[in-house]
Amino acid sequence: MTLTIGKVASLSEVTADTLRYYEREGLISPATKSNGGYRLYDRDAVRRVRFIKEAQRCGFTLAEIRQLLALRASDAACCRDVRRVAVEKKLQLESKIKAMRAMSKVLDRLIAECTRDNRSLDDCPILAALEK
Amino acid sequence: MKIELFYSPGCEKCADNKDALKATAIELMPDVVWRELNVLDEIDYAVEVGVLTLPSIAIDGQVVFSSLPTHRQLRRELIRRSGKGG
Repeated sequence: MTLTIGKVASLSEVTADTLRYYEREGLISPATKSNGGYRLYDRDAVRRVRFIKEAQRCGFTLAEIRQLLALRASDAACCRDVRRVAVEKKLQLESKIKAMRAMSKVLDRLIAECTRDNRSLDDCPILAALEK
Repeated sequence: MKIELFYSPGCEKCADNKDALKATAIELMPDVVWRELNVLDEIDYAVEVGVLTLPSIAIDGQVVFSSLPTHRQLRRELIRRSGKGG
């Protein structure tokens, strides 16, 4: 059973443009094309697109998702390979969180320094700090 | 000098060759401190040190290898840091 791009898009709750984008990024490809040149997908395409969306929601980049999909399709891979990718992603997220917390603290300090509402923009300590 | 190997349990790449690397380090520097840390138990410390990929090796609190080095690479780095080169 084959599905048109519109059908895959509606079943996986994305747009046809998103599917074409995923194809350009090497994440999915149609199983075949119709005589008229239209993309036709197999049933697994819907599962694959849902997988991509869920992985994106977890913070994986498209390049990382490509890696996960390759592991998913590999007979030689097993769960621990996927686990290592997940642990590395967690490290990257924790690292970003740490950097963002530090940025937030800097903003706390700048906000505290800017106590007079009617100060002119030339005297604004926040703008001054960002221009350093 | 303190060498810390960050690994993820069950990761084959992490286990591969690590005992031999430890032996290389101890042979070159008998007083070296060699620690093996499960990142999931030490996630905050791993982030502080700058670990982003596994396995990674940090020397004196700084990531030096973001994958397991060869014996030669490890020897070269340890000699450079200890000033034993000549």
